[in-house]
Amino acid sequence: MSVSTSRRGFIRDAAFALGGVAIGAGLGYMAAGAGQKPATVTQTITQTTTKTEVGEKKVVAGFVYVGPVSDYGWTHAHDVGREYAKSKCPWLETKIVESVEEAKVQGAIETLIGQGANIVFTTSFGFMEGTAEEAQKHPDVYFAHCSGYKSGAAGNATQNMSAYFAEFYQLYYLNGLAAGAVTETGVLGYVAAVPIPEVIRHINAFVLGAKETAKARGKNIKVYVQWLNAWFDPEGAKKAATSLVENNNADVLAFTEDTPTVLQVAESYQKKGKKVWSFSHYSDMSKEGPNAHLTGQIVNWGPIYVDFVSQVYARSWRSVDIWARIGDYMPYKWANLSNPKIESDGAVYLAPLNPVVPSEVRSLIALRWEQMKELLFEPFTGPIKDMDGKIRIKEGERATHDVLWNMDWHVEGVETPLPK
Amino acid sequence: MDPITILTTMFILMVQEGSILLLATLGEILTERSGILNLGVEGMMCFGALSSFIAYYVTGNWVIAVLAAALAGASLSFIHAFVSITLKANQTVSGLAITILGLGLSSSLGRPLAISRVRIEPIESIKVPILSDIPIIGPSFFNQNPIVYLSYFMVILLWFILYKTSFGLNLRSVGENPSMADSLGINVFLTRYVATTLGGALCGVSGALLILGYYPSWYDGITAGRGWIAVALVIFSSWNPLYAFFGAYFFGLVGTLNATFQSIGFRIIPTDFFRTLPYLLTIFVLVIFSSTRFRRRKMPASLGKPYTREL
Repeated sequence: MSVSTSRRGFIRDAAFALGGVAIGAGLGYMAAGAGQKPATVTQTITQTTTKTEVGEKKVVAGFVYVGPVSDYGWTHAHDVGREYAKSKCPWLETKIVESVEEAKVQGAIETLIGQGANIVFTTSFGFMEGTAEEAQKHPDVYFAHCSGYKSGAAGNATQNMSAYFAEFYQLYYLNGLAAGAVTETGVLGYVAAVPIPEVIRHINAFVLGAKETAKARGKNIKVYVQWLNAWFDPEGAKKAATSLVENNNADVLAFTEDTPTVLQVAESYQKKGKKVWSFSHYSDMSKEGPNAHLTGQIVNWGPIYVDFVSQVYARSWRSVDIWARIGDYMPYKWANLSNPKIESDGAVYLAPLNPVVPSEVRSLIALRWEQMKELLFEPFTGPIKDMDGKIRIKEGERATHDVLWNMDWHVEGVETPLPK
Repeated sequence: MDPITILTTMFILMVQEGSILLLATLGEILTERSGILNLGVEGMMCFGALSSFIAYYVTGNWVIAVLAAALAGASLSFIHAFVSITLKANQTVSGLAITILGLGLSSSLGRPLAISRVRIEPIESIKVPILSDIPIIGPSFFNQNPIVYLSYFMVILLWFILYKTSFGLNLRSVGENPSMADSLGINVFLTRYVATTLGGALCGVSGALLILGYYPSWYDGITAGRGWIAVALVIFSSWNPLYAFFGAYFFGLVGTLNATFQSIGFRIIPTDFFRTLPYLLTIFVLVIFSSTRFRRRKMPASLGKPYTREL
């Protein structure tokens, strides 16, 4: 597809969508008073401007989102990161394009560049090829793509393109520590999105953590997995979570799905007097499950965005391939061990811990957190056997980046074989 | 993991999903019986969900919330009624516009709610004495929230109105042969307006059940295509509220197979198949039921045709 057609196509689509919703927005103003931004389910361009002094140097950052800002997970978290960057950098102006189909990413990028963007962030794996092509076409603009593997640093894209991602497996391991400490049935459930190495790695890390604390209590751990084959599927997540509790007797539910549904299911059991626990995913969801919320994995894209736009501002760009884990992007390294709420300016952190987690496990979680920050501990340290009892990581060895990145096997303790 | 537990779980999930589909299907049956095709179910459901969410958040009263959802659905379907009855525009196009409008309106009005992560407490289930002690059927059908009970009641009420009242007779004759009905002194325009608006109200209430009952927070895409399944269910149930009851729960049951099979370790059929199953069924149903003979017998004869009074 040539640029001009895709761009024209984008403008036509946007115009169509805006026209279609003009009545809606109008009614919206009448219904709820002023103050609403018009939005559509298809495509909308929202513009946010930070006041800058006349003549002062500024950076314009464009964001291409795969979903709407008002989703419950992925895109919302990126937009919170954008707001964070804006609050830290008074010289930053940001523009966003929401709900962009993966095939239309180049049109969206062209639009943002047309609006003066110096750096464009594209936040979906499917945007990678389009971003790489645009990076080649616009050597004077910088690009950062989330969750892919193409960058100048990796040698498979131009030098004005970087890659970034926030990795959760260490946090899933910490979630597992909490889960193993509270489970009564010894059965844990996992509502999983799509069987790719990232999700498999998260399940495995969760199981490793749970086995560690359950072993200390003399319990065995069984983990059942339900696959949704979708990232967004509240209906499927609800059914999967309910089936895990009712049919498999699970009392802790971990999940990878873009809504708070699994936590809400756990909370509804708590209301009925049955102890079922779950977690936060991407953002702090503790409000969704005041009783059932155990802890969880939270991402903070903010510091990563600040870093990138600062490079552009300071003209110190260097292509990077970032895989942010615990400890990365933290202004200070050592936190107060006695503080049960682990939170900081890092790219990933742990949601508040439920007081039901015993104090010795809270200390263990804090200890492991600090150790992982300093690279003194790695959840995937051998000997680690897979479901069939085969040794996958040898005694004393740590999983390399490649092993983690390509993981296609489950650790011992998972009862559900991987879908073929 | 005994079979009773597994079946009970399946049935609970079946009733929860099925009741959402049921309310929307009933609404669309009422509308289509008068000869108006409203493809805006998805939009009305979504707007109903948002309106009830806001009303429940503000008042804390689920009755007010359900009324708000009904009003939201009714106001959207009133637009459709005006466009397709008074202006005599193409009903398919207008219905699709209602879907886009409903989804867009919900998305834009709900934006601050989604971003600030507003949350409500789901409305509580009420056990029906005695009936809820029946194995499998009891915990699933008779331990639900009041909106689910309302959906059972609406099946009977709508059946009664359509087949046992003069208004129902008039409504059906308007859907079958409006000029004949007109010559008999039935107000075709008014009847169609009433049926379309009330039908939209029911679609709105299905959205209220969705959000107040089972998914107590607002985010984009919460209706997830259920409105379209309801449109297919209308055909599946031959425009009969009693058949709609079985159709909605049949679809609800099919939707639980994936989770159930995974939890009992039955893995011969891949997950993807189950994800597509409701839609495959929908297409299958449409193909079977759109055979000419079937249509002639069951479908309101003037469905989708604007009525112009001949002088």
